Amino acid sequence: MYFKKNFNKSFNILLLRILIIFVFILVSFFIIIPLLPLFLKSFSDNKNNFIGLENFINYIQNPSLTQSFINSLKVAITTTFFSVLIGFIYAYALTRTRLPLKKFFNTFSLFSLYIPPLAVAIGLIYIFGKQGLITQGFFGTIPGFDINLYGFNGIIIGEIFYCFPQALIILVSALNLSDQRLYEAAESLKASPLRKFLTITLPNIKYGLMNSFFICFILSFTDFGVPKVVGGNFNVLATDIYKQVVGQQNFAMGATISIYLLVPSILAFLIDKNFQKNEASLISGKSIPFKPRKNLIVDSIMFIFCSLILILVIGVFSSIVLASLVKIWPYDISLSLQNFRFSNVAGNGYEPYFNTVFMSIYTAIFGTIFVFFTAYLVEKFKPLKKIRMLIYFFSTLPIAIPGLVLGLSYILFFNKPSFSVPFLDFQIFNPFSLLYGTMGILVLANIIHFFTVCFISATTTLKQIDKEFEEVSESLKVPFYKTFLRITIPLSLPTILEIGSYYFVNSMITVSAIIFLYPAKIPVSSVSIVNMDDAGDTASAAAMSTLIVLTSLFVRLIYEFTSRNVSKKSSVWINPLET
Amino acid sequence: MIKKEGSFKYLEIKNISKNFGETFVLKNIHLDVFKGEFLCLLGPSGCGKTTLLRIISGLERQTNGDIVQDGLLISNSPTEKRDFGIVFQSYALFPNLNAKQNIAYGLENKKINKKEIEKRTNNLLRLVGLEKYSDQFPSQLSGGQQQRVALARAMALSPGLLLLDEPLSALDAQVRSKLRNEIKLIQKKLNLTTIMVTHDQTEALSMADRVVVMERGHIAQIGTPFELYKNPITPFVADFIGKMNLLKGKYDKKNCVFYYLNNRFLISQNTEYSFLENCLLGIRPEDIEIIKFRKNIEKEENILKVKIKEITYLGTIFRLTVVLESKLEENIFVDVISNQVISNNLKIGDFIDIKLKKEKIKLFESNL
Repeated sequence: MYFKKNFNKSFNILLLRILIIFVFILVSFFIIIPLLPLFLKSFSDNKNNFIGLENFINYIQNPSLTQSFINSLKVAITTTFFSVLIGFIYAYALTRTRLPLKKFFNTFSLFSLYIPPLAVAIGLIYIFGKQGLITQGFFGTIPGFDINLYGFNGIIIGEIFYCFPQALIILVSALNLSDQRLYEAAESLKASPLRKFLTITLPNIKYGLMNSFFICFILSFTDFGVPKVVGGNFNVLATDIYKQVVGQQNFAMGATISIYLLVPSILAFLIDKNFQKNEASLISGKSIPFKPRKNLIVDSIMFIFCSLILILVIGVFSSIVLASLVKIWPYDISLSLQNFRFSNVAGNGYEPYFNTVFMSIYTAIFGTIFVFFTAYLVEKFKPLKKIRMLIYFFSTLPIAIPGLVLGLSYILFFNKPSFSVPFLDFQIFNPFSLLYGTMGILVLANIIHFFTVCFISATTTLKQIDKEFEEVSESLKVPFYKTFLRITIPLSLPTILEIGSYYFVNSMITVSAIIFLYPAKIPVSSVSIVNMDDAGDTASAAAMSTLIVLTSLFVRLIYEFTSRNVSKKSSVWINPLET
Repeated sequence: MIKKEGSFKYLEIKNISKNFGETFVLKNIHLDVFKGEFLCLLGPSGCGKTTLLRIISGLERQTNGDIVQDGLLISNSPTEKRDFGIVFQSYALFPNLNAKQNIAYGLENKKINKKEIEKRTNNLLRLVGLEKYSDQFPSQLSGGQQQRVALARAMALSPGLLLLDEPLSALDAQVRSKLRNEIKLIQKKLNLTTIMVTHDQTEALSMADRVVVMERGHIAQIGTPFELYKNPITPFVADFIGKMNLLKGKYDKKNCVFYYLNNRFLISQNTEYSFLENCLLGIRPEDIEIIKFRKNIEKEENILKVKIKEITYLGTIFRLTVVLESKLEENIFVDVISNQVISNNLKIGDFIDIKLKKEKIKLFESNL
């Protein structure tokens, strides 16, 4: 007989199991479980008595509230249509034509990613508002033109500004995956340009197209910033939740409307997920990338189109900066920095700004660590398959959870010092309640709010790293965490930096997830923009927006610089022959 | 099975099965590997050879069965507790570490002092002939050099067992045959028990002491390269190791005659042929003789009159594809030395007589 070594379970596998379960508990408590009190709340009155569907029935019977639901849908559908259309044409110009100044158009198209939707709305006020540049015909020099900004029009323009770059990013990467040989084959078979477009281009990007529809729908359906500033009397679900919770302290109705906001988002999410499941790469590793040919007519049309879009983006940005520098728009247009004092407003000077910067730094650091580690555990290991699949599913979910809903559910979950166990007279201490009223809860809300995009990009990178590295390490008796530190992290560094900068920028500009959560002693700048705008102090709001945009751009520049250095250093691993 | 003299069973694979869901990948595999032996797992893709290798390494877990290595039952031991080194088809070299760091990767984790690591790494670099390339990153090395780094890395911890998973298939033909010899030399020098997975029969035949031919999750035959070539026990092995013509017909056991269409062939007496009358006649292309210009053909046995359909030049030999007039769709391959084709001025469309050497004919059970 041989000596049995059955009990010889390795310490590493045990450690791995514990880590996976630990991460599972974290993502459950940060993503799924906080939604439960929200659901419960929607079935209760404000004194926490269970009232069944009464809130939902009240909602449907209230015509002004149901109107908001219809309005939100209208906004989402219109925005999605235009954002994807514009995004597609712009992406097509960047990838499939000989657009002049391509690099310039490429860089500046993403400019509006750094402008908070709130700030876009404020910029729009200075262009199309009652005293706006266009409305007043450039201070009366030419005939003015009023587009009736406040209401549906304003919301749509603002949302397109917000959603278009998101669609653009997805569609550019979809269109970049192309195979010159397919087009050459089609050409040799005498296919018309239209036929080539319909049979090669469109089928290749259908997943990207669907995904961009879904992203734009959710973003515009749930956005709070734009309708808050330029919505006027045109109510949408997001502003309704805000009014119920902040204005009337009616948490039950706030929770109910949240469900109305959440359900369509989750539906869109599930439809997209189901659709993407069938995605199989049509482009093999041997593909030859498409090389566009010169076409004077197409190239010129694209140039004009892209220029128009860029002029609008830069116009909105400049109007925010200008407005923040002008003394009293439009009566005294001499330049001054007085709007940057934030002293005469409800604002607290520079405190909100610095709070926001620190919050964004923390989010970037802790968020990146958490998201990357989660993706690593899910992607690289074999044990506990079902649990890892659940972690994956939970991690993709936050993109469908609107910021306001996340914020509201966080209040309801984190402010409870203990949970009562049903049917038993027993209380369990809620350790997460310690975060309530601290910067920690803001950071956590941001980490989760932007989790999905970061998680997907981490997963994609990890997938590209040979899974045999882990197997080789095992065979060399090197524990997985050493390989993680020595191999996986250095190889993923570009993505890690990208995730960090994404977290930073989005935490700087976000308002919806934290507007319910920020403790009174920790004011944040995006909320103070809302408050200053509410108080009629639009110029100060513009000044704060300018600061946010400049900070985000500055951090992005640091990122570009660092990542260029990193890729220079790592290029010897990847492409030595070119250096 | 032959037991090699002076060596003992180092690895015993006992009744190993593996299924993914309801599909069987491996079924009741029994296999002994002797100390210092070079064993090849050979088979077409999907035959389960890589799965078997991964089960031996612990990277994959068997559904049933046991593995004993050096007297220890390791069936359920985790990978890191098993004593082996592995080289993957993709090499899996760490791209951000240079050749030397890659080789030292496993050593650095052990509590060995730096000088010792340095010494052993340099020895390994010398062993695989890469002293000059120690500071190069994998992407700066050629395919063959990367392969050698991977080999050195796998041997760094002086494992008792070396596992090679299609180690040469990503290389071009010239480098491949050079590395074949080098790996074999190193293996013999260190007397390192080695199991290599490959789908390339030339590679298996030229490197292995013994070859395990696998087919659809089970072992078809085990033997030295020459045994497999000379005495294949199934048509699959016969056609996978070298080339074999297989003709379906009827066997008259009493008279030792095989009937194929209207032709009769005499078969050497062999008591092992116990199967029913429907069976396959197998003969290798090089065991067929052309007798175009011989007289008194009528008196000779085992003659077929055929038409040349194709002539393929294979270097020192020509391979003729010939057919019977009564069965044009069934190709028979005949290997002829080049001189004979040229001097006889053989052309496509010519009719020739071929002779199947009686003593070379094999019969197989027909499972068609």
